[in-house]
Amino acid sequence: MSRSATAPTALLAQSPPGELSRLARAWRQARRRPASVVGAAIVLLFVAMAIGAPWIAGSDPMQTDWKQVRKAPTLAHPFGTDDLGRDTFARVVWGTRISMQAGVLSIVLAIAVGVPLGLVAGFYRGALDQTIMRLTDAWLAFPFLILAIGLVTIMGPSLTNATIAIGLGATPTYIRLTRGLVLATAAEDYVQGARALGAGDLRLMSRHVLPNIVSSLLVQATISIPVAIIAEAVLSFLGLGVQPPAPSWGTMLNTAQQFLDTAPWMAWWPGLAIFTLALSFNLAGDGLRDLLDPRDY
Amino acid sequence: MFDFLVQRAAISVVTLFVISLIVFTGVRMIPGDPARVLAGTEADAAGIEAVREKYGLGDPIPVQYLRWVALALRGDLGHSIRTRESVIHTVATKLPITIELAFLSLFIAVGIAIPAGVLAAVRRNTLWDMLASGASLGGVSIPNFWLGIMLILFFSVQLGWLPASGFVPIWESPLDNVKRMIMPAFVLGTALAAVLMRQTRNSMIEVMSADYIRTAYSKGLAGRVVVFRHAIRNSLIPVVTILGLQMGALMSGAVVTEQIFVVPGFGRLIVESVFTRDYPLVQGVVLITASSYVLINLLVDVSYSLLNPRIRIGGTARES
Repeated sequence: MSRSATAPTALLAQSPPGELSRLARAWRQARRRPASVVGAAIVLLFVAMAIGAPWIAGSDPMQTDWKQVRKAPTLAHPFGTDDLGRDTFARVVWGTRISMQAGVLSIVLAIAVGVPLGLVAGFYRGALDQTIMRLTDAWLAFPFLILAIGLVTIMGPSLTNATIAIGLGATPTYIRLTRGLVLATAAEDYVQGARALGAGDLRLMSRHVLPNIVSSLLVQATISIPVAIIAEAVLSFLGLGVQPPAPSWGTMLNTAQQFLDTAPWMAWWPGLAIFTLALSFNLAGDGLRDLLDPRDY
Repeated sequence: MFDFLVQRAAISVVTLFVISLIVFTGVRMIPGDPARVLAGTEADAAGIEAVREKYGLGDPIPVQYLRWVALALRGDLGHSIRTRESVIHTVATKLPITIELAFLSLFIAVGIAIPAGVLAAVRRNTLWDMLASGASLGGVSIPNFWLGIMLILFFSVQLGWLPASGFVPIWESPLDNVKRMIMPAFVLGTALAAVLMRQTRNSMIEVMSADYIRTAYSKGLAGRVVVFRHAIRNSLIPVVTILGLQMGALMSGAVVTEQIFVVPGFGRLIVESVFTRDYPLVQGVVLITASSYVLINLLVDVSYSLLNPRIRIGGTARES
């Protein structure tokens, strides 16, 4: 009895150096993967751009100027102007807000809905599991974008609805992932041990199962966010997301498509912004995966 | 084995049933009165009532659902409101175009992804690996509609080599057909190639570290023989599964690509039917899309278990 009591204490006493070595390991990993560090830095840069849009943009993204219609990039308008004489740079900067908001919030929604459902399905198994999983299968059979288009049609086009639609479209992935992880984790000895000690279901799920699957969920989130950012752009491009004149990268590309021969710069920058942001998220996510999942791929 | 097939088929039937419920309720949740749309803009209240009566739109919802499913099972998905053509006929004229597009892009994707993935795995942690992985990451991150716009900008607007949009049936002029399909197929193909390459690389790395590969090497076989005769074949099994699961992504991609390149295929039909509130068409098209996804993946799963008896599913190996 006394041995089992001292073991955790000994572990606790060791935890500060353990924490340090984890940091050291993270640093080593980071040095081995400079691309991921750059990716993470660019993501942070975009976050800063979203927050600081009013100061960075320089001019009003909605301000039309009929004397400056479709002007090629100059010093005053580094990214050129669009068909209504608005500054493309300002619109790209403000568009960061919309993309970030849609990309991150939709995945937060998918996690908020998907993880509890997957947790319950994997933990209790049986009929409840079957019901949830058959619904998930059916939900997954609708291609992501078609599902999102359908949901936006029902709810009406707007940024909020596009975000909800993308989130609900991504939900089944999280249900499946969580359930699979829970099935594996719930069978572990420490969970069985905690159960034997009298821990209730809620405590088992929140204290023993969930903390052990968080890192996998986090990795999945870094994969889903760029997908969601692109999905928002696609919906806006199709006219089902953010409505003009609000500056969204997708809507900007929709307009740009009509002026490819006379004002190609209108198409360069918003697309480049989506590409850069998605790529940075993916690079950062790759690094995070290596950090949290020591399996060597 | 037989049990597995039955179980797998039963799950698919349940899934199809749930899909039909989702589609049916979903379409009924689209704002607007279908009877009013069906009757046309000039109809008065009595006209709308007559249409409601004729199509049974006033019946209780479960009755409407059962009637719809019964007809759908016989291949009757109703008629488009706009064109008055049968939904099945409309789909039958549009689908071949998208299937051609899908095959072309599949061809491009597999042609790029498998060699690149194998090369990256065999020459792991070299410049080749970094190049291939980098390209794959870029392929996942690039928004395909922007890639499409950039291709049009470069090849159509700047160079004038390829027509920016439109469609010519293959039997009218194969050359013109390919000229118009090559850019959309490339756009669709890159996204798929990125995913496939990653999967090929990972599974190839796993296979290359298996015991039987070591045995093959240690009995003195040349590296090329080991890779081509022993490793590739086994490493492609999971890749085939991914291909099945990517069908949905391919459909999503087709929606956008066909929109940009004005290809009159199935993807464009979906968007048009949604925008014009053509309820029977939306209902039919979405039902067909989701059902074919289920059936294709059933097929993939079954052929997978036939090919690889190790993964015959008792319920544990397949979870995730």
